[in-house]
Amino acid sequence: MPKKDDKWLLIIVIITAIFGIVMIYSASFIWADYKFNDPFKFVKAQSAFFIMSLLLVFILRKINPKIYYEKANLILLICFILLVLVLIPGLGKIRNGSRSWFGIGGFGIQPSEFAKIGLIIYVSKYLANNNRIITDIKKGVFPILLVIGVFFLLIMLEPDFGTAMVIVITLVSILFISGVKLSFFIKIGLLGLLGIVGLIVVAPYRMLRIVSFLNPWVDPLGSGYQIIQSLYAIGPGGLLGQGFLKSRQKQFYLPEPQTDFIFSIISEEFGFLGILIVTAFFAFIFYKIVKISLTSDNLFYKYLSFGLGFGIIIQALLNICVVIGVIPVTGVTLPFFSYGGSSLLVSMISIGIILSISNKQK
Amino acid sequence: MFYNNVHTRIRYIFLVVILVLVIAIARVFYIQVFSYKKLNTLAESLWSRKLPISADRGKIVDRRGRVLADNITTTSLIVIPNQIENKEDAAKKLSEILGSGYNDMLKHVSKKTSIERVHPEGRRLSYEVAEKIDALKIDGVYLVKESKRYYPYDTVLSHVLGYVGIDNQGLSGLELYYDDYLTGEDGSIKYFSDGKGHKLELAEIYEAPTSGVTLQLTIDLDLQLAVENELDNAVAKYDPDSVIAIAMNPKNGEVLAMASRPNFDSNNYQNYTTEVINRNLPIWMTFEPGSTMKISTYTAAINEGLINIFEDRFTDSGAITVDGATLHCWKHGGHGNQTYLEVIENSCNPGFVNLGLMLQKEKLMSYIKKFGFGTKTGIDLNGEGNGILFSLDKMGNVELATTAFGQGISVTPIQQVQAVSAIINGGTLYSPFLVKNFLEPETNTIVKSVTSENKGTVIKKETSDLVRYALESVVAKGSGHNAYIENYRIGGKTGTAQTVENGIYSSSKYILSFIGFMPADDPEIVVYVAVQNAKGVVQYGGTVAAPIARNIFLSAIDILDIEPSTEGIPKEYTWLDQKYVTVPDVVGLSVNEAKKILKGFNIEYSGEGDTVIYMSPKAGMYAKENGTVVLMLG
Repeated sequence: MPKKDDKWLLIIVIITAIFGIVMIYSASFIWADYKFNDPFKFVKAQSAFFIMSLLLVFILRKINPKIYYEKANLILLICFILLVLVLIPGLGKIRNGSRSWFGIGGFGIQPSEFAKIGLIIYVSKYLANNNRIITDIKKGVFPILLVIGVFFLLIMLEPDFGTAMVIVITLVSILFISGVKLSFFIKIGLLGLLGIVGLIVVAPYRMLRIVSFLNPWVDPLGSGYQIIQSLYAIGPGGLLGQGFLKSRQKQFYLPEPQTDFIFSIISEEFGFLGILIVTAFFAFIFYKIVKISLTSDNLFYKYLSFGLGFGIIIQALLNICVVIGVIPVTGVTLPFFSYGGSSLLVSMISIGIILSISNKQK
Repeated sequence: MFYNNVHTRIRYIFLVVILVLVIAIARVFYIQVFSYKKLNTLAESLWSRKLPISADRGKIVDRRGRVLADNITTTSLIVIPNQIENKEDAAKKLSEILGSGYNDMLKHVSKKTSIERVHPEGRRLSYEVAEKIDALKIDGVYLVKESKRYYPYDTVLSHVLGYVGIDNQGLSGLELYYDDYLTGEDGSIKYFSDGKGHKLELAEIYEAPTSGVTLQLTIDLDLQLAVENELDNAVAKYDPDSVIAIAMNPKNGEVLAMASRPNFDSNNYQNYTTEVINRNLPIWMTFEPGSTMKISTYTAAINEGLINIFEDRFTDSGAITVDGATLHCWKHGGHGNQTYLEVIENSCNPGFVNLGLMLQKEKLMSYIKKFGFGTKTGIDLNGEGNGILFSLDKMGNVELATTAFGQGISVTPIQQVQAVSAIINGGTLYSPFLVKNFLEPETNTIVKSVTSENKGTVIKKETSDLVRYALESVVAKGSGHNAYIENYRIGGKTGTAQTVENGIYSSSKYILSFIGFMPADDPEIVVYVAVQNAKGVVQYGGTVAAPIARNIFLSAIDILDIEPSTEGIPKEYTWLDQKYVTVPDVVGLSVNEAKKILKGFNIEYSGEGDTVIYMSPKAGMYAKENGTVVLMLG
């Protein structure tokens, strides 16, 4: 029997995903009708993934999470092989300029999404095992950084900057909670800052690229285009929105509104109220996961549940911050909402694993 | 606890995540509330396309509301390329109907723009063509209403009204001067489209155009038509280089009529040379006024108290010598000994030279400037001339003498009308003006009224009275007798000025002019007529310009409803003139008594009876000697 907490987490996740599917319909039916002569094209595919992932959740929550600890190396190896295979032309297919997915029948699978789970499991295991030497940067942190670096490079070869970012930030956050010294993160942060400054000094045009998200009107038809179109959706939404299905920006103004910029369509149709609800869902889901992490009595489970939860929430935050013009466009989807089978599948698998950890505590 | 450190860090991260979410929410709130207006306007302009509806240009009406410049509605073709599915087909059909090139049309329908106006072949389409295009029912092909300027009286008042270009923009005349008032605000039909330009099934928003303001002029169309008619007659009769006529109300500066030849048709201004359409002669042309200028000299001398026109005398020997230069009178041998009243009746040059010398250059020039010469009158039209006066420091007695009788300076016709109006209206100088009221286009209620601009009192009222009398005398007894109308009091002065060609006076080309007013005791209208280089006629203002002015006065009597008067100065007759006599009163007398009294008249009777109960013309009126008097018996 699942605990009461878990039940609510599952219910909210299902509600969120269903709301996501409804919004995919609203955002995509015009585009789908135009491109495939089938307004339900995207909804159908997403619904299939949803049902599949829901089944997975119910299976995974019954599985003892100990198996992830035991099979962590194997899982990571499979992920590594898939990431290498996807780079091979003919096997890997190109979407939005990056060779990032396998086509299986009508469905597409993005190995980088699955690598996220694999890496979280592996890093959690590593940190749980090496808890004692984690304060030693050289002995404790460098080896795992090396593993992370290899995967980061593989994903950047596709290239899929968004997913790579999500993975790195997630893994770094697990490092952070595991007790790696604060000074280490400050050093890394300074290093990163220096790197950025160096890149700008070498090629000053990058500065423009970086700040263009602050004022997208500098280049309204180029780098600022998506942000402007997004703001044209969010702004006129007002407090209560234009109403369900009544978005104007999805009428070929915002490109592929069912993917990265679905948050804009939500705010256009449901206004500020809709955004409050969506963010509340995410906050609730993350809160529940953090609580499971805090109450589990095993370091591996703590790291794993936290990492999987953080992987979802950081992706949501990155996506929302892009859409509202707070950070530059990175190409990250909104978990549970954006159209994309792998993304939904991975998010749901994460939830399934977290639920199984929660069950274990009983 | 063992996990304390881990738990603290997890909580930190949780707090950071919540913080970022709150920032995101705040940012969305900011976008949706504070940037709402800006973004909504921008987005709206992105989503919507506007089909323009052109506003009606303000009408121009005469003082009684008769329309002088109107609008007719035409149809224009516009295309929205994004909505046209089959561009080749649309271009083919449209070019066939319009009879234009297929390739040009294909360019129009394929242009990367939201709305394309098919210009010029798609502008101002006839009803038949519009019908055919409408019948095609092609998506993305629209017909919009456009209004086109139309001048129902073609050439009448053309220089004053001006004309407009293809986009209804005022290009000259009142159309240009009041373009801001006349131009309305275009409206639109706003519809919403998707990112590919296809029309969306959303309500269209109609923004009504606002018509321009109607201009009500001071012009009286009836009088204008009469003046135009007289100018046409003058052109037919004398084949002159140009003819000018102005009629103005001297009491407030309202221009009642203004016309000139050559003129043009405002509807088809393209067919005329730029000289013809751009030169509004009554306000643009500057020339030596000649004798009409003597009115100013005469007025200045009276106002300064230098002469008593009835008692002071001047002897004209036919010429006068000033600083060694001999100035001749127009009449060979001179006019002999005359009162100053006779000096103006005879338009005697030496007499005016003498007045000029009495006034001295400072005084004379100060009056001339006070009367408004040398500066623009400020009439509400573009292109007014300044005229040229001698500057005081370069002015010797010879220049003073010629200025006194109207030579050596140049003035515009409208300046002369302005000056004479002030001189005869009691002494107040008014700016001439053409627009009296701005009317609301739908209801014709007055939005704004123009009051006449009073530029100050320039002479004493007594002076004005005397000059009026003297000028009435000029018409009754002197050089202006061709403007005389029986039973009406008319004052005026003729002018004959040589035109200057290449810096020297032409011996054969003259500007013949007349300026007059009516009624002489309380003038309601000032009329100025000038004929340049009239052919086949004695070159004298009295013979050419005065009769034209007389005909305009005759029309004005009916149009302005001017009452006849018996108090005027009777006409003095030359052997050429038909003599007029006063009709004695016979009403109430018997037929026989009446016959005796009306001896010399041709009597006709109407009605039956022994007693005269009514007579026409009435007693006291002037009738031709041996003319007909009708008696009604009862």
